[in-house]
Amino acid sequence: MSVGTGALGRRRVLPAPVTGQEFVLVGVIALLWVALAVSTPAFLTAGSIQPLLVATAPVALVGVGMTIVIVTGGIDVSVGGAIMVCSVLTAKALVEAEVNLGVAVLLSVAVGGVLGLVNGVLIAYGRVHAIIITFGTANLFMFLGLRIFGSGTVNGIPGTLAFFGRGPDGRTLGVPHAFGITVLITAAAWWYLRHTAGGRHFFAIGGDAQAARLAGVRVQRRVLLAYLITGLLVGLASCFVIAQGTSTLDQSVGSGKELAVIAAVVIGGTSIMGGRGSVLGTLLGALLVQSVASGVTQLGWRSQLSDLFVGLFIIVAVGADLLRARARRNR
Amino acid sequence: MTTATAVTAASTGNAGARVLRVLLTQRIALLAVLIVAVVITFFVQDAGGYLTAPYDFDYMSASLINAVPLAMLGLAELLVILSGRGGIDLSVGAIVSLAGMIFGFAYGEWGWPLWAAIVLTALFGALLGAVNGFLVSYIGFPALIATLATYYAYKSLAIVINNQEPISTPPIQKLFSISESVELPLFGQYVPDVPLGIFTFLLPTVVAVWLLLARTTYGRRLYAIGTNDVAARWSGLPVRDTRFKAYVYAGVLSGLVAVVTVGQFASARPDAGVSGNGMALPAITIAVLGGVAITGGIGRVSGVVLATLLIVWLNAGILLAFVGNEGSQYQLLALGAVLVFAALLNGLTNRRYGGTA
Repeated sequence: MSVGTGALGRRRVLPAPVTGQEFVLVGVIALLWVALAVSTPAFLTAGSIQPLLVATAPVALVGVGMTIVIVTGGIDVSVGGAIMVCSVLTAKALVEAEVNLGVAVLLSVAVGGVLGLVNGVLIAYGRVHAIIITFGTANLFMFLGLRIFGSGTVNGIPGTLAFFGRGPDGRTLGVPHAFGITVLITAAAWWYLRHTAGGRHFFAIGGDAQAARLAGVRVQRRVLLAYLITGLLVGLASCFVIAQGTSTLDQSVGSGKELAVIAAVVIGGTSIMGGRGSVLGTLLGALLVQSVASGVTQLGWRSQLSDLFVGLFIIVAVGADLLRARARRNR
Repeated sequence: MTTATAVTAASTGNAGARVLRVLLTQRIALLAVLIVAVVITFFVQDAGGYLTAPYDFDYMSASLINAVPLAMLGLAELLVILSGRGGIDLSVGAIVSLAGMIFGFAYGEWGWPLWAAIVLTALFGALLGAVNGFLVSYIGFPALIATLATYYAYKSLAIVINNQEPISTPPIQKLFSISESVELPLFGQYVPDVPLGIFTFLLPTVVAVWLLLARTTYGRRLYAIGTNDVAARWSGLPVRDTRFKAYVYAGVLSGLVAVVTVGQFASARPDAGVSGNGMALPAITIAVLGGVAITGGIGRVSGVVLATLLIVWLNAGILLAFVGNEGSQYQLLALGAVLVFAALLNGLTNRRYGGTA
């Protein structure tokens, strides 16, 4: 992350548009894909890459919100529970009320927004550490989700959401809609975080909340907004999750997703201490994690082995960042 | 517990205000009152015939078996969170899974004597904890990240190590006696039978951790580095070494929990500590509920133990109050509500009385 000089010799205020971590990630993903293509020829075909991109979408999408939350110095471990609530409600609406695509998406996003608002209000105005509140709300959301499930699964979900699925209905010109939408939202978030005052405020809060307040940032509202955005994205991601599955939704939906999302964000180079991060990195991080999972399966290894690689990637990604930070300090 | 009630309490007299202050600032007192309230509530419900089975002292005593892993992991989180700088251990559940498999191999397949297998499991837990401690303390990883990474790694290894198969050979199955209840000697016929695991694992652990924190130099150092890392370093304390050891001890405790869990299931299951919601989240919840400050340096063994009793007896009652699996769902509600409540209360206490939680 080099600090460039502008035309007038002033130091650039904004960080570079693409960070070193992102270049490295692109390189690692490229290497991985080449290696997988060499060992299993079936990997670099549309039939293999398209499902990979579809599977990346929900984690990357929630990761965009999580990036903003972590940039403000917070964290949200309740997204797994929130995905459960949104997807089971939406699935029930699809089965019982036979709502159409638009209504289903709106419903899911609205529910996600409400859940995000609950987190945001408690964290921004309760002045309690985010991890504790979201551990608590994670339990509450899971309770809600399980209550809506009743006992058993939601069966016979119609194909209304096929637009986001892996089938031929879910693609335009070969690009899966779910992944395309995720890329568009990531790009919008990238521009918002980098080029608007509101976006920069998130970084200011994560850098030093007290200083941000003194500089006139309305810290509590910004923090609230970060969790609200995450909630809305969780709602949309839940639609992707339903679309990817079969016509049955079981009670394990969303379980463990919070850690998968945090892993993607961290591998993408966002600092867990707040104040520094990028949604592009998160998208690449999610893509890397999913590529590993897909690669492990295609190589015929035990699928749980991919978690070991996720753990190693986190260590390497964050370790490299720590070493760079140390080098910067010593310069 | 709003400001309105605080004002009323103050106006009705000094005694009321003092009681409120004690309840808000002394987490132990609050937990004790809550435990009594929970137990009385369920006794009343029981007398009214609203429960599906009797909620009596025998039932409360039998349910204590659930307190063994919960309290021990809560104490592990206590040590790690105390060490400060955002200390937390998300990997305890994964350590329980992986160390449990090692215990399964040693005791169930290699035919080691029980004590040797337990020592090996504890040492293996220490090794896994040492990886966390090394990353956090010597390399400088944020604890959340390091233990998230090792959570994934250990979880994956535990499943791969025995091809996803549980180990349940005859010696392992006989271990189930750990969770059976025994009659206490001397006055045993007058009190309910108590699960054996309480005496073999929980009480020794509680005493050991209490001695470590309250009666050793190491304990004082741990509080010191958790309260103020920089001040501790300038006082010449071995900050890195102290923090490193906190993660190692947490690993040892997780290793011992692995033995208990294998006994409870009568089988070494590769997903023992990470299935469903995992073991780390409840353990962190217990620690926070017990008054451990997530910022480090504040927290006591007695708080963790009382918080465990509260949750265990609350959960045991909820199981009887609902039919079928609704009970386990309402346990989530109770855990979440209690945690949010405790966290908001901590915030309120800090603002009202200034930092003594």
